Amino acid sequence: MRSCRRRKQIWTAKMAEEQQESSQPEVEGVNCLAYDEAIIAQQDRIQQEIANSNPLVSDRQDLAVLQREYAEEDTVYQLKIKDLHKKYSYIRKTRPDGNCFYRAFGFAHLESLLDDSKELQKFKAVAAKSKLDLVNEGFTEFTIEDFHNTFMDLIELCEKQPSLQELLSSFNDQNVSDYVVVYLRLLTSGYLQREYGFFQHFIEGGRSVKEFCQQEVEPMSKESDHIHIIALAQALNVSILVEYMDRGEGGTVNHHVFPEGGDPRIFLLYRPGHYDILYK
Amino acid sequence: MENKYNLKSPAVKRLMKEAAELRDPTEHYHAQPLEDNLFEWHFSVRGPPDSDFDGGVYHGRIVLPPEYPMKPPSIILLTPNGRFEVGKKICLSISGHHPETWQPSWSIRTALIAIIGFMPTKGEGAIGSLDYTPEERRALAKKSQDFCCESCGCSMRTALLALTPNSDPSPEDHQAKELAQQISFKAESSLSRQPSESGGAESEPSTLTEGDSSTSAGQEADVEPQAELAEESPAPSEEEPRPPAAPSVGRPLSPRQRRAQQHNQQGQRDGREAASRLPFIAPPHQPQDDSHAGSAVLIVVLTLALAALIFRRIYLANEYKFDYEL
Repeated sequence: MRSCRRRKQIWTAKMAEEQQESSQPEVEGVNCLAYDEAIIAQQDRIQQEIANSNPLVSDRQDLAVLQREYAEEDTVYQLKIKDLHKKYSYIRKTRPDGNCFYRAFGFAHLESLLDDSKELQKFKAVAAKSKLDLVNEGFTEFTIEDFHNTFMDLIELCEKQPSLQELLSSFNDQNVSDYVVVYLRLLTSGYLQREYGFFQHFIEGGRSVKEFCQQEVEPMSKESDHIHIIALAQALNVSILVEYMDRGEGGTVNHHVFPEGGDPRIFLLYRPGHYDILYK
Repeated sequence: MENKYNLKSPAVKRLMKEAAELRDPTEHYHAQPLEDNLFEWHFSVRGPPDSDFDGGVYHGRIVLPPEYPMKPPSIILLTPNGRFEVGKKICLSISGHHPETWQPSWSIRTALIAIIGFMPTKGEGAIGSLDYTPEERRALAKKSQDFCCESCGCSMRTALLALTPNSDPSPEDHQAKELAQQISFKAESSLSRQPSESGGAESEPSTLTEGDSSTSAGQEADVEPQAELAEESPAPSEEEPRPPAAPSVGRPLSPRQRRAQQHNQQGQRDGREAASRLPFIAPPHQPQDDSHAGSAVLIVVLTLALAALIFRRIYLANEYKFDYEL
């Protein structure tokens, strides 16, 4: 279960199976409620399976675990992993639930601020002010403040210089973790809408920035693309480096820094449909 | 109520806040949790003034999942209204054809305004939707004022603030309405669309005349969530007058006939409406009908296959036994 996309494939396959099974009892009378509920229940079960086998944010692991994820004769990936090894030593995985970019970003950034109180204070000021920006943009204050508060609580936790384990367990508490994801999604959406004149050109399908945000940014489990990363990096004034590893030829991984020319503190590994955290 | 719930639970925290936010009825909506259950609310909404629901006040239940606001609320109407089935869940959630669109930053108020916004849209045979004639809807709107909820003791006559001629929606309302437009409603219920309450509606002599339907869209237009659309598209009143093709009051029609007629009228308006509506709230109903047909075919095929297998099984078993006896 390496990527969100793979998860989707499994999902579709399982749903097809399930539908075949569940269509038997329907002979009695086409019951769409049962049909929809079966799909929902099935999706929940698959989510549960993914949840059971992947923590929201894993412990830090040796990068060698990646090698074992791919077959030895899979030369494209094995070469690229070797290339990755030149720059990085460790990886921390995130659950492939469609929220992986936000979770990886949130954790990696706060972790990097644990021993840098100057940067932490700077970040805290940006984060504190961000709610007001959203409210001024038209977000309803009482619906977003719980998410903001949870985010600020975590930043305040970091001020107390907790153990890494403490931060990790906060990020593995589904309530806390999901609220942080929601807030990061709101920040992304807010920034995209504030700078709609610029981002409008990058949105496909003739949608407005606002529509894009409501379909692809704010709902949970919607995967992230370049445009999301640029927006969040700029909204929080944090530089992010993403290493892209895919089936493309060449034997090396390509990286991209958001925003361009920044001095990145966070390193993410992208494999189609999924983000993990990398460490030097 | 404060002592009964874990205040650390995100859902409880949020619902307490929403209860405070919605404590006082507005002119258009009101909702509060039941006294003994923070996760079940009752609401009242006013029918959009420039529609067949004008003058109606409708009551219903909202059921919140424990994961709220990460998961959407379910909405169930209790007042017969001719647009949504009574007692069936309308959920703002997923359907096979629409992605999950609920956003955690939405609220119960968003859902209420979405209901108001959805009342004048077409049911088009979607599950849980009803396409009653304008006459029936107007009769039900009139009757809705008599409704009294037994479990929350709410009377529709007093549930909401009286409309004032110059009611001015607050900026929040405006924003919530915009949000409401994004929701794709997915009604969740059994397939039976036979409206159980239609008997009452049919026998109710309609005192309204055709002309009533084209009442002023004037000052009250703002309160309808589609007001923004109306500003861009040609005058909203264009959509309002129902074509005279509507069934004559004296002749009761079967729900099927009525639906067919409704569809005809709506067909004519389709183009215009589709153009003025955002692409993703375009009526989700057509594909659903297709999928019903598809699954019906699948079921028939599977049943036949099953029957064939069973028959073969029995046949083989018999043959085997026969051989054995020889």
